[in-house]
Amino acid sequence: MNASATSALERRPSLRYRRRYLTNLLGWTFYGVFFAVLAFALLDIIAVVLKHGIPAISLELFTKPTNGVSGGLLNAIIGTFLLTFGSLLLAAPVGILGGIYVAEYTASPFARAARYLSDVLVGVPSIVFGLFGYLAMVTWLGWHFSLLAGCITLALMIIPYILRTTELAFRGVVSELREAAYALGASHAKVTLKVILRACRGRVLTGVLLAMAISMGETAPLIYTVNWSNYVWGGHLTHEPVGYLTYVVWSFINEPFDSAHALAYAAALLVTVFVLVITTSTRLLLSRLDTHKPH
Amino acid sequence: MHAPPIPKPFDPMSVADDASPATATEPVIDIRNLSFYYGDFQALKDITLPLNRNEVTAFIGPSGCGKSTLLRVLNRIYDLYPRQRAEGEVVIDGRNILDARTDVNLLRARVGMVFQKPTPFPMSIYENIAFGIRLYEKLGKVEMDERIERALQRTSLWGEVKDKLRQSGISLSGGQQQRLCIARAIALNPEVLLLDEPTSALDPIATGRIEQLIEELKGDYTIVIVTHNMQQAARVSNRTAFLYMGELVEYGATAKIFTKPTKRQTEDYISGRFG
Amino acid sequence: MDPLLPVATPPSNPDGGDFFGKSRSHSGGMRRSTDVFGILVATSAGIVPLVILALLAFLLYNAWPALHFNGWGFLTGNSWNLGNQYGDLVKVRGVEVLPGARFSILFLIFGTLASSVIALVLAIPIGVGAAVFLADAVPPRLRNSASLLVELLAAVPSVVFGLWGYVVLIPFTARHVYPLLGHVLAFIPFFGPPTYNGYGLLTSGIVLALMVVPLITANMREAIAATPAALREAGLSTGATRFEVVRKIVLPRLRLPLIGVSTLALGRALGETMAVLMVSGNAINGLPHNVYSPISTMAAFMVSQLDSALQDPSGMAVSSITEIGLILLVLSMAVNGIARLLVSRTQPR
Repeated sequence: MNASATSALERRPSLRYRRRYLTNLLGWTFYGVFFAVLAFALLDIIAVVLKHGIPAISLELFTKPTNGVSGGLLNAIIGTFLLTFGSLLLAAPVGILGGIYVAEYTASPFARAARYLSDVLVGVPSIVFGLFGYLAMVTWLGWHFSLLAGCITLALMIIPYILRTTELAFRGVVSELREAAYALGASHAKVTLKVILRACRGRVLTGVLLAMAISMGETAPLIYTVNWSNYVWGGHLTHEPVGYLTYVVWSFINEPFDSAHALAYAAALLVTVFVLVITTSTRLLLSRLDTHKPH
Repeated sequence: MHAPPIPKPFDPMSVADDASPATATEPVIDIRNLSFYYGDFQALKDITLPLNRNEVTAFIGPSGCGKSTLLRVLNRIYDLYPRQRAEGEVVIDGRNILDARTDVNLLRARVGMVFQKPTPFPMSIYENIAFGIRLYEKLGKVEMDERIERALQRTSLWGEVKDKLRQSGISLSGGQQQRLCIARAIALNPEVLLLDEPTSALDPIATGRIEQLIEELKGDYTIVIVTHNMQQAARVSNRTAFLYMGELVEYGATAKIFTKPTKRQTEDYISGRFG
Repeated sequence: MDPLLPVATPPSNPDGGDFFGKSRSHSGGMRRSTDVFGILVATSAGIVPLVILALLAFLLYNAWPALHFNGWGFLTGNSWNLGNQYGDLVKVRGVEVLPGARFSILFLIFGTLASSVIALVLAIPIGVGAAVFLADAVPPRLRNSASLLVELLAAVPSVVFGLWGYVVLIPFTARHVYPLLGHVLAFIPFFGPPTYNGYGLLTSGIVLALMVVPLITANMREAIAATPAALREAGLSTGATRFEVVRKIVLPRLRLPLIGVSTLALGRALGETMAVLMVSGNAINGLPHNVYSPISTMAAFMVSQLDSALQDPSGMAVSSITEIGLILLVLSMAVNGIARLLVSRTQPR
């Protein structure tokens, strides 16, 4: 057999080859357009929020509470801040410790079950958590729509996130480090907290930050547990509804008043900027951790 | 935006070189003053090496010497990686394939390659071989079946797989997978076959069959094999090139390289003093 | 909307395969010294199954009267009617309700499933295409920034998606896109006119698609990048172009991970609340006539009906809303449970 006698090349400048060329071009164009659609959607969302939100920003926004459909957003800003940090305060220790358990006791069936159930829990719609918070705290415990009911509800939602990211962070720590620490005769609480947690604290932090972004952007569960208030939080944990920014976005954009729209856009601007800044810095932190990974 | 790799209209290789009657010593690939860089690291230094038509040439040398790198220049597979670049000339049919205008798809259809680990595509045995053919030729079912049977016969795989052509290529054993990969390459009727340590992941029996296969294919194809197994180089090749630290130390008839090397480094490597 | 959790490929674990063996030996060591710390971390992890139990228990307990009163008809009828608010409570099937009260949610189940399916039909090709583009066409220098653009889409809060849908997408599609679509696609059932005012099934599907697509893109991009280099090189070595290698060799290998991550995306779309609430038109008690018709979903309905349900002195409305929540909980847990199993089974190597 003469190898080159039927060589594909000799019939090459064929229609077939040209058709492949065209298919490739078309394919890459489609894929590029798909990417462009997504990038455009994000940029347009940001642009719309900036375009309508920036003119709505004023000093009054940060100094006055909402008054009907006008006024400022002081109550909502404080409320969002309290809800976000309150839920983090509850969820971070539990999530991190739970993550340590799941990462360090891989042999235990209970740990594997906890990991799997965390993944399942992450997929439970936030509105269901809201309903649960309403039934358990607002109704059964006899609280009112309140800050604490909201914080606990959000905390339950974000615990599985923090747990899973902590677990993955711990699993990324090289075993040599672990063994070296144990070889020194340190107790495992000490090894875990002082050596391993320190070695992967950056990654654990990214999990906490992402959870924070989730809390800050949530709306539905809070409608069921915190409701809304025109007043700045007065200090009652369990019997006083609180305002928060995402509620303003949802509720005020439907009102037929310009002042309401301005507040909705301003609230959307604040929430979006916070959430995107947190997420972006988390990504940057992660990529820095990836490039400077100790080996 | 990075331009997707789309075949360019100009193709220096399109004119088939019918005029050249294949003589045993005519170089089919002429490597001239080739240097190769991984970023700032120079992996090949000024290599000049003619590869003869329808012979088996072995590249040997200690790991990191550049033998695989050299092989990967010959079908420009390194193009996939942006930080790798080659300087110099690799001439096939009077044309420098390192030229930016070279249509690498056509080049690769003509210069087949088989890798260290078997790389069956995630499709049936039949489709594994038909894949490459379909890219370049429109064949009827009968013709296609024939082509596939012939390729499988050539790699003595036909008897083993003829009843399960529709099964996944991944279901075959390692040695069979590797022969499938060789069948896939020769189904395109290439002129050159590049084998990058084709037996390093195989057991001795499977290795023996591949070596036997190389023996059978030589004469019809120009074969270049990279191997870290010196006995293998001695067994299968007509000519051997010994590379060390990116340089071509010695090149000549295999019998001569293994019995009367002219360079001290070659002798040391062959006698197992390093590498 | 939730930021992405890694699913297809776990973050690098430098000690790879050794990990399980080694950690097993630690856990042995840890268990021997039964200390406070061990109990503390185990208890913390125990919160997770506890929360799931509590969710199921509270929802089931509170939905019980509704389950009893509504029966199976809850799933098959299109009538959400609180009854006469001013009438006296009457006893029906052993429970006290307002006269004329009837609760059934077929239209919500349909709206939820239909909008999620539309979302997936849009999100899967777009997500995979964008993933291929990011992994194979964008130069490595720009790859991280370009990927960030897509992944940030997942971080945008649901309510902001809703806002954007409300002020940008709805006016634009209602004026320019849907009338054209209705005209051109009139031959396809459910795609012909009338195209209504932009609030509806298709708009919900589009917004949901944008919300779940980053999940698909991020996971597929990682899976594509994790394809063995030798397989790509082998594809190219047969004279295939990079596009052909991706289409015919790389992507077919990733069919199972794609199914896993799409199921995950489905779970997310099913439970999405605020954005859908703001763009769906919140239709009640009827099935949509075509893809442009207003709809509502289970999750969105739970928010839109809360206020009026609280007015029902019998509590049956709240109990029925809880029944919706229970269905949503069970549905999302089933979809996610399956998705996670698929994803963990199919992680590339």
